[in-house]
Amino acid sequence: MSKDIAYHYEDKSRNKLVAAYLLTGGLVIGLMMVFGILMLLNQGGILNLSPATFYQFLTIHGTGMIGAAALAAAGLMWYFLGQYVQLSKKIFVWNLVLFIIAVVMVIVGIFSFEYASAWTFLYPLPALSANAWGTIGALLYLVGMLVLGTGFLLLYIDTGRAIIRKYGSLTKGLGWDILFGKKDVKDAPPKAVIASTMVTIVNTTAIIAGAIVLIMNIINVINPSFTFDPLLAKNLTYAFGHVFANAIIYMAVIVVYELLPKYANRPWGVSKLFLVAWTCSTIFTLVIYTHHMLMDPVMPRWMLIMGQVLSYANGLPVLVVTAYGALMVVYKSGIKWDMASRLAYLSMFGWVIGVVPAIIDATIVVNHVMHNTKWVPGHFHMYMGVGAVVMLFSFMYYLAKVDSDVQDTMLDKIGFFCYAIAMFSISIQFLVSGAISTPRRWATHFPEWMGPAQFGAIAGVFAVIGTLIFVIHFIRYMKNRGTAGSDMYEKKLA
Amino acid sequence: MVQTVAWITSLVFMSLIVIVFFAVAVKSKERRDYEPIKKKWYKARKFYATTVITILVVAALGTLRQLPYDQPVYGEAVEPTIVDVKALQFGWDMSQTEFKVGEPVEFHVTSQDVTHGFGIYNEDKTLIAQTQAMPEYTNVVYITFDEPGTYEILCMEYCGLAHHLMIGEITVTE
Ligand code: HEM
Ligand SMILES: [Cu+2]
Ligand SMILES: [Cu+2]
Repeated sequence: MSKDIAYHYEDKSRNKLVAAYLLTGGLVIGLMMVFGILMLLNQGGILNLSPATFYQFLTIHGTGMIGAAALAAAGLMWYFLGQYVQLSKKIFVWNLVLFIIAVVMVIVGIFSFEYASAWTFLYPLPALSANAWGTIGALLYLVGMLVLGTGFLLLYIDTGRAIIRKYGSLTKGLGWDILFGKKDVKDAPPKAVIASTMVTIVNTTAIIAGAIVLIMNIINVINPSFTFDPLLAKNLTYAFGHVFANAIIYMAVIVVYELLPKYANRPWGVSKLFLVAWTCSTIFTLVIYTHHMLMDPVMPRWMLIMGQVLSYANGLPVLVVTAYGALMVVYKSGIKWDMASRLAYLSMFGWVIGVVPAIIDATIVVNHVMHNTKWVPGHFHMYMGVGAVVMLFSFMYYLAKVDSDVQDTMLDKIGFFCYAIAMFSISIQFLVSGAISTPRRWATHFPEWMGPAQFGAIAGVFAVIGTLIFVIHFIRYMKNRGTAGSDMYEKKLA
Repeated sequence: MVQTVAWITSLVFMSLIVIVFFAVAVKSKERRDYEPIKKKWYKARKFYATTVITILVVAALGTLRQLPYDQPVYGEAVEPTIVDVKALQFGWDMSQTEFKVGEPVEFHVTSQDVTHGFGIYNEDKTLIAQTQAMPEYTNVVYITFDEPGTYEILCMEYCGLAHHLMIGEITVTE
């Protein structure tokens, strides 16, 4: 690794902020899991919630999980990117403040004003709820989401600015000057910068699409005579939702890039193929949201076919480059396994395995009988729950390690296995439900569909226990922050 | 059945991934020089990448041949039965609900209010076809029932608090 990387860059207040991001994310994720369990209990026929309550839980769970995971992942990215470029602390704080304001608005909208459109707020549902909720609830939620988007947009404008300042342009951040032979691959930007550039590009686009459709919905809620094209709205919604949700893992994977080579004591450099992979990921992530619209035959045919083909292709960068690279770094390396490295490894597994049901479902003929069944939450609980979120946990242990003398204990190890097995089971449970045609987002299930949900609810309890153990470890770190000197840093990892 | 094929294919590839990650984790305890490993496994990657790409290309070519969007080729003098379907919170308004086995049917699906999903379930509660029910747009489902029985129409897109109660029925007779 090059010398100019400021490893010993130790700004305590920066770590404190990053920790605040991760703690907020971890706590919200743990809490949202409880709503997930309650939903499964209801679907499994064990609880008897009113439909209004169930769909409020669905809305808060989806919104909360995506929001919290995105927030924590942004904290993770900011931590590593900040080692290479100069980022604004003020904006970082602002994003957190706006996030918290948004959370309050969304919670009040959902629980006090009974708003329950699910996190996709598909136009014109916010305005047309069949009198289940009113204007105020809808406005609180939609404006809340807009506030949340604004915070993230500010953050990405700052990361974009910082990357451009140091590397010249966003395309150079992706290493295009190397791909075009203008520079040697030895001088490529670090992986954290490449990933951050990709996320800056796709999420700025996503947030703009989201803001447009949010504003349209807001106007429509206030004044129902203002309408707009529902198909366009759907495109914008998924362009926002798909990209924003996917970007979480592209931010979070930075921890794997940074951590595994240090633990395994092996180089994991940037190659041309790596650059190609990230450029492909950038493009694919932006365009494959159309696989959410395969059951809209009124869409242009070529867009749907591209939806399938590019969704397949989107598996390649991770299958052939990132995961393969990670496996090579670990294989026969004598790597030191602790909580951080174990979680990093698990997260790569979760990402890769989640690709399989995703690709299957992106197949048009399969989508025809699996779209909007529980197969869909099956695949994304895998790649979010066993992939992205695990990367966040890995980072939480990593930070605790490099910035304090808090040690992993046996309990943490138990938490790891608890969480891994539970979250995997939850994902499989969803896939089984999908394979037997259970529709998603149904408050109650027919008896023949209840079994997997009951199993999932039990597994959910263990996922929460695991998460709690992780978060408690992190809180212990936050109380003991700065107890590891920066000179300890590399010694500890060696 | 498509679901079974999807499920088994997924299980096969997911098991492979489990095995690979498990094996590498077990082997991680040994410590070997990286250079020879790199040499060997970069070479292996070419083969692996070619295999993955081939599988994906073949799968894409195979599955894109016949898309559910296409109107089937009807035989000489066969006129499909066209059914107008209007979804509304929270029910299905269908111009016809009784069909014969072997009769080609086209469901022309739209919505009066929000987006719904038109999903046809057979008696085993297996989803056999679907499309989105969108306001202002009409999507078509082409189907020829080959089993008599009572089929159910379930809503496949979240449309409000009675989304899970939005169930219609059609009957198919010999
Ligand atoms: C204990 C762990 C968890 C449980 C028990 C759980 C349970 C559930 C359930 C029951 C649903 C609704 C399924 C349906 O459509 O019928 C759901 C949806 C969802 N979950 Fe989870 N979940 C868990 C963890 C997570 C995690 C870690 C994430 C992501 C970070 C996540 C993100 C989502 C999203 C985005 C939805 C979609 C909401 C919607 O359809 O609008 N979940 N989950
Ligand atoms: Cu409906
Ligand atoms: Cu519905």
